[in-house]
Amino acid sequence: MTATAESPVTISSGQDMTQVIPVLMPGATYASVTDQIGGIVQRPLTWLWIMAFGITFVVVMVLTGAIAYLLLRGVGIWGIDIPVAWGFAITNFVWWIGIGHAGTFISAMLLLMRQNWRTSINRFAEAMTLFAVACAGMFPLMHLGRIKFFYWLAPYPNTMALWPQFRSALVWDVFAVSTYGLVSLIFWYVGLIPDLATMRDRSRNRFTWTIYGMMAMGWRGDSRHWLRYQTAYLLLAGLAAPLVVSVHSIVGMDFSEAQLPGWHSTIFPPYFVAGAIFSGFAMVLTLAIPMRSLFGFKNLITIRHIDNCCKLMLVTELLVAYGYAAEVYTGWYSGSVYESYMTMNRFIGPYAPAYWSLIFCNIVAPQILWSRRVRQNVIIVFILSLVINVGMWLERFMIIITSLQRDFLPSSWGMYYPTFWDWATFIGTLGLFFCMFFLFARLLPAISIAEVRELVHETAGGSVPPSKMEPANVI
Amino acid sequence: MPRLFHRRMNVIARASLLAIPILAATAGGVAWHVQTTSYVTSQDITMEQPVPFSHKHHVGELGIDCRYCHTSVTDSSFAGLPPTKTCMTCHSQIWTNAAMLQPVRDSWRTGVPLQWQRVHNLPEYVYFDHSIHVAKGVGCATCHGQVDEMPLMFQAKSLEMSWCLECHRHPEEYLRPREEVFNLHYQSPPDQLKVGRELAERYHVRSAQALTDCYTCHR
Amino acid sequence: MNLSEVRSRLSNQRGQALWRSMEELCDTPEFRKSLEREFPGGVDGWINSGDQSRRRFLQLMGASLMLAGAGTMSGCSDKPRDEKIVPYVDAPEMLVAGKPMFFATAMPMGGFGRGVLVCSQEGRPIKIEGNPDHPASLGGTDSFMQASILGLYDPDRSQAVTRGGEISTWAAFWETVRPRLESKRQTGGEGVRLLLEPTTSPTVLAQLDELQRQFPRLRRHHWDPIGRENTTAGMVAAYGKSFAAQYDLSAARVVVSLDSDFLFDESASLRYSRQFMDGRRVRRDRQEMNRLYVAEGTLTITGSTADHRLAIRPSEIAILARALAAACGVSGVNTEMPAGREKWINAAAADLAANRGACLVMVGESQPAEVHALGHAINHLLGNLGHTVHFTEPVLGQSDSLDVLVDEMRSGKIDTLLIFGTNPAYTSPADIPFAAELLRMSKMRSADGTFANLTAHLGLYDDETAYLCQWHLHQSHYLESWGDIRAFDGTASILQPLIAPLYGGKSASEVLEVLLGRPERSAYEVLRGYWVSQWKNADFERQWSTALKSGVIAGTALPLQDLGSPKVVASASEKSAGEWEVVFRPDYSVWDGCFSNNPWLQELPRPFTKLTWDNAAMISPATAEKLNVVDGDVVRLMLNKRSINAPVLVTPGVPDGVISVSLGYGRLRAGHIGTVHGDQTIGVGFDAYAIRTAGERWFAGGVQVIKTKRTHRLVMTRSHHAMGTFTNKESLKPDAIATEQTPEWARETANRKLVRVATLEQFKANTNIIKELGGESEKKPLLSLYPGPEHGGWDYSKGYQWGMSIDLTSCIGCNACVVACQAENNIPVVGKEEISRQREMHWIRIDDYFGGSLDDPKIYHQPVPCMHCENAPCEYVCPVGATTHSVEGLNQMTYNRCVGTRYCSNNCPYKVRRFNFLAYADAETTEQRKLQRNPDVTVRTNGVMEKCSYCIQRIQRTRIEAEKMLVENSGAQQAEFNLIERLQTACQQACPTRAIEFGSIIPVGGEKTRVAKLKDEPLDYGLLRELSTRPRTTYLARLTNPNPSIEPAKGGAA
Repeated sequence: MTATAESPVTISSGQDMTQVIPVLMPGATYASVTDQIGGIVQRPLTWLWIMAFGITFVVVMVLTGAIAYLLLRGVGIWGIDIPVAWGFAITNFVWWIGIGHAGTFISAMLLLMRQNWRTSINRFAEAMTLFAVACAGMFPLMHLGRIKFFYWLAPYPNTMALWPQFRSALVWDVFAVSTYGLVSLIFWYVGLIPDLATMRDRSRNRFTWTIYGMMAMGWRGDSRHWLRYQTAYLLLAGLAAPLVVSVHSIVGMDFSEAQLPGWHSTIFPPYFVAGAIFSGFAMVLTLAIPMRSLFGFKNLITIRHIDNCCKLMLVTELLVAYGYAAEVYTGWYSGSVYESYMTMNRFIGPYAPAYWSLIFCNIVAPQILWSRRVRQNVIIVFILSLVINVGMWLERFMIIITSLQRDFLPSSWGMYYPTFWDWATFIGTLGLFFCMFFLFARLLPAISIAEVRELVHETAGGSVPPSKMEPANVI
Repeated sequence: MPRLFHRRMNVIARASLLAIPILAATAGGVAWHVQTTSYVTSQDITMEQPVPFSHKHHVGELGIDCRYCHTSVTDSSFAGLPPTKTCMTCHSQIWTNAAMLQPVRDSWRTGVPLQWQRVHNLPEYVYFDHSIHVAKGVGCATCHGQVDEMPLMFQAKSLEMSWCLECHRHPEEYLRPREEVFNLHYQSPPDQLKVGRELAERYHVRSAQALTDCYTCHR
Repeated sequence: MNLSEVRSRLSNQRGQALWRSMEELCDTPEFRKSLEREFPGGVDGWINSGDQSRRRFLQLMGASLMLAGAGTMSGCSDKPRDEKIVPYVDAPEMLVAGKPMFFATAMPMGGFGRGVLVCSQEGRPIKIEGNPDHPASLGGTDSFMQASILGLYDPDRSQAVTRGGEISTWAAFWETVRPRLESKRQTGGEGVRLLLEPTTSPTVLAQLDELQRQFPRLRRHHWDPIGRENTTAGMVAAYGKSFAAQYDLSAARVVVSLDSDFLFDESASLRYSRQFMDGRRVRRDRQEMNRLYVAEGTLTITGSTADHRLAIRPSEIAILARALAAACGVSGVNTEMPAGREKWINAAAADLAANRGACLVMVGESQPAEVHALGHAINHLLGNLGHTVHFTEPVLGQSDSLDVLVDEMRSGKIDTLLIFGTNPAYTSPADIPFAAELLRMSKMRSADGTFANLTAHLGLYDDETAYLCQWHLHQSHYLESWGDIRAFDGTASILQPLIAPLYGGKSASEVLEVLLGRPERSAYEVLRGYWVSQWKNADFERQWSTALKSGVIAGTALPLQDLGSPKVVASASEKSAGEWEVVFRPDYSVWDGCFSNNPWLQELPRPFTKLTWDNAAMISPATAEKLNVVDGDVVRLMLNKRSINAPVLVTPGVPDGVISVSLGYGRLRAGHIGTVHGDQTIGVGFDAYAIRTAGERWFAGGVQVIKTKRTHRLVMTRSHHAMGTFTNKESLKPDAIATEQTPEWARETANRKLVRVATLEQFKANTNIIKELGGESEKKPLLSLYPGPEHGGWDYSKGYQWGMSIDLTSCIGCNACVVACQAENNIPVVGKEEISRQREMHWIRIDDYFGGSLDDPKIYHQPVPCMHCENAPCEYVCPVGATTHSVEGLNQMTYNRCVGTRYCSNNCPYKVRRFNFLAYADAETTEQRKLQRNPDVTVRTNGVMEKCSYCIQRIQRTRIEAEKMLVENSGAQQAEFNLIERLQTACQQACPTRAIEFGSIIPVGGEKTRVAKLKDEPLDYGLLRELSTRPRTTYLARLTNPNPSIEPAKGGAA
């Protein structure tokens, strides 16, 4: 809230910023925090929110229409063809799943690493994860030629005496994504319980009282509750952490198990995971920066948070850059006409613009993050986060389309032109994502009240310098 | 602060925790069972026929051989359904004015074929060939049951894919000597497995791996 | 969906489109007005009432239909409840339900017959195959024969006698025509004219002669847009009389073709293709091949197989021919050597001279009489007569030409015109106003207000001509009527019906019988009547049944004539051809337009261009640059005041300055498929007849080419620039063709080695050359992570192991295999719009690669079916195991298990998998067409992947027979071997040149099979071998036999 915190100019260079900007602005008390966060949910609807929600809701209706028509006519309504039999659907799937990664990374990984700056962003990052996974999960279903038989991918006893084909990564995809979705949901919900209790206690009418009451599962906040809660939360974190790696590794294998030039590459799993976290943090920032100013969370989500996210993005961005470099190198070093042609085709083929713009978005643009001034300029960071979101989508598009478009036999080369329904489905999921996020922001505390309270306690209202802080969640 | 829920709610809450998995399991079980019911497989369902033809009478009591009517069973995929002419070979002499045979006589007179209700009906993507099964020692009764005891024809087996696979995976358990194929009262010997293996050998029955190739039945 | 769109569109556009046509045919408004009054376009009323005809249909099909289970969407349908099963009342003698039966008959085309065997399942003819015993087929077929089965079930075939568009009856027509003819008896048939398509049918010709006897003044005329007037004229010029020439390419070591597409457009093309390619097969034990020189005015499949191809303007070929004749020593020809052709001419002449009696010069119908005469002179001089060239009396019935008829029509001498089969209102030359005259005749009224004339048309379709006649009589399809016909050499065949006439049509002989004043008789009686009179003292029934069984009547071939020396015609002086020349050719898919309502053929990718659903003006790249046009730009072709608009298609290989158009498009009354209606998303081409004159039927100089603003969306089944390996503007060109010039390093890292090419000399010098072209991958064994038999993997050493071998030298790219596959495997038609989205469904495609330079390209045809890889990339990626491997090495696609992730297609390096993106199988066909479907093959549903199965239904049938045989008698190894060797896939059976061989790649019954031997040949190589997919389909490399004096063998001999 104080201007000093907001303006990086007050920091003389050479000084460690983390010494100056704490994860929690001074002057926070238990009550103030509770009021600030909990109050959002109880304050009356603003026109801004209604409009934003309204627009996204309309887009969701578009999605519904697109899906209805899909069920009616079949996947032929999309631009896919032979050779490019996978188009937007899989691109979007990989992109959304990638975005979903930041949530679990923040809540699980950082928790285990005792990064207490996570506390004020983990809640909505997890929410984001859930919604992203929800959007992602739709696509593998929708892109099936015969959706009605989707359950054949699951191993269940049947009168055909048949099992799925476990050599195919697509089967593992089903397991990976659904597990990931489930664990994230539980993790998120467990984290919510104390806050739900708070909301229950603060609720002014019987209806919300009952709803929050049921969801709070009778949380009374006595020490026994807290002890078990902490244990469960930590265990779940341990459970979720490996998923961060596993899910996108499997998604990477969806491609790398093929022998198609451009897919057939052992670097895919790590390269996909890095890319996922990269895009995930980009999306976190895309959501965090407007939220902290709209909901007045500047004292809770400080420049320090943004700065940290930027640093993480920079790291993962470098990993991704390595991935691109490795692909080009392989193309040349393999000495295979198909590999080298694929690389050249990305450089100067019909989809070259997509390739070069993704190189700009994902490799060139993020380089500005080396500068602290940039990292602390929310406007620039916000714009950059959008650029990176676009870039990462283009990366998936490039991997899928340009590899399929011109493979081995020139006779079967082709192009991919997305149709109206491709776009409708893609934009529709964007609408769904933000629609759900707006609802979340209104119905649940977007920041973990309980954990921030802890922070208040540990930092004595944010007055103690973080370096002297005791790590949270000691059991 | 007033109490939101009554104490009893705790019990209910705990119970629900238990109930959810139980319900899920039951639902799965039901779903599995439904696949195997005659509602889905139409097993054991007696169909209404234009003429109440009794295999029990013609096969069981009169002892007419299967091949008398199902002429192409030994050399075509389709076992063959007797043309009205076949019925009339006898019924132009006997039961010449039995009311129940009126449709047959009409068909013969007008040349309009009888329309029987299909009893054994496979999906169209399944290509079953009678002749090869008969040639390799699979008895009629193995799949069609005790036809000679059926007043009206019904589907004796489920005809599910898993049912087909039982034999395609372990033919030796079901094979019989070729001369016994049309014998509805054939009892498989106590050492069926041993006999079956010999027969499989003698009749060049292909490996289970080959018999379970998709193209064996699907094209 | 396009076809359904077409239907809906046409149902309301037909009328409007029609008036357009009338304008073009006779552009005076009066005609139109009078027409409106007379023919109230009542046609639409019944032609579209599909379900009515359908009901009649099912009655006809009777019981058999219900057993077949065809036409249902089997792919998705589960156990249908309440299905009826219907036996016969009295079963036919030899019919065994569930077993296919074959009947021999012959398909008439251009008046000549080509023998076929028709496969019939429970009374439904479903597939056409070649008849090995027939001289014009030798077992091979072309795409027209294959597709004619669909023509039988065409719902657009006319289904009733109509008068002025209103439904009428045969009886009514008889009542009109009989008295009219009776009244003519005194005058001897004055004013009566018959206009027929050329025919060789002994019965029909006999009837016609009889008619001639009854009515001496009656005249017969014939019209065939693809007729052979020039050939005949050339024969007359050389020998003073018309003879039929037939060639024996099996005896020819050197062949020179002057604008002759003898692999496609001759009545004996199938025979020629076989003989020619038999002379080109190089095997370990036979290292010689014939040599083909081609000089042609456009790009033909014959030219694409040439060792030396000269693409020159058609008008220059006469000059070339003279020079060649002179070089061969023919006296009396002026010897001006055309500049730049000396090398070709001298080499060809030398080669011919070196192979006296074993060489052949063939001249195409498109060239004038003079060139034909020169050809005869050369053949005679080189002593080819009696060896490679034979003559017989003409096989076709003789009659007057069309222009004579039209003159008489104009002068009002004619009051009765009966048209049999042919469709001159559409196909007649632009300078012969047949349509206008016919319309005038039809409309003219006498004083009492009744019609003065009688015009009637007997045909399969209610086409342009039918529309202009008073009467339209619906003809019966050749598969549903009795008849007879002669082959190119006179060999007669009996046409026997496979099914009762679906729409109750009558054949020409049945109609003629009535015209002869005799009581109505069935074609069967007429036919037997004729042959009884022929085989007087023979045992008729025996002879008859053998004739039916074998498909040919023994000893009916015409005796060979030996002729004296031909005259050499004094060279006519060429008039200059001007800047641009236009070339007219029958279309590779719709011929002269008579197949334009056949969806299979419309969707068939044309050779070289892979164009579908349209025709185009093919021009060379140089011409395109000169005209500054690109694919799809519409140009206006103006030829003596007539003009057409045509989209251009740049095609390397077309001579510079030549615009090559194909006939048979722009139909206005073809039916729902073939009728043009100005919609780019469907449209079926432009009408080239509009500028084709009687004088210049095959090529014309002095045509003006004007670029218009308009463009037309041409749809090809591949981005055709991608196929070139020549240095063109397309950046990122792939190198697909490996020759000896390909450097070692490139064979590994820069060349895809898809087509491996060598010359005969190089091969003789180093029989290992084809393997060497494969680079590293051929040198070391390919490793695989998959377990071998020793580790519980696949054991390919037992039972039958199916495989295929495709000979790239023999393949002429004629598309017969593609249509055969479509007919055999119930492959749907998807329409132009879906093709434009790269969603064609053909299981086997023919990839045409262009090599060499842009201006003189070498063309290579490569048929690509599923490779049935032993390490199939498609298999391990399928999550539900819908595509799996069989112990016999087949890559099995199980439609009913497929959920449609399409990963298999993504991972297929050959991209041979096809996906039902939409509900093609049902949406794109009609109830009638469904009756053609093969009951042994599942019809695939929406969202399911499909691909070549090596005709698994045929494999299973044969194997079941073999197994039953072995159970009876384990010792029947030899019989088993023969049985398996007789097994043929649809594409293999259709191939006229035997380029495709299929069978077990390991010995059967201890004996080595054909395909196994081929796979041991040094020419054998696998496509994309370095991927270690171990394809079961392999190729025999393309060999050429260039003349060293033109192309010095590089390195090879060293």
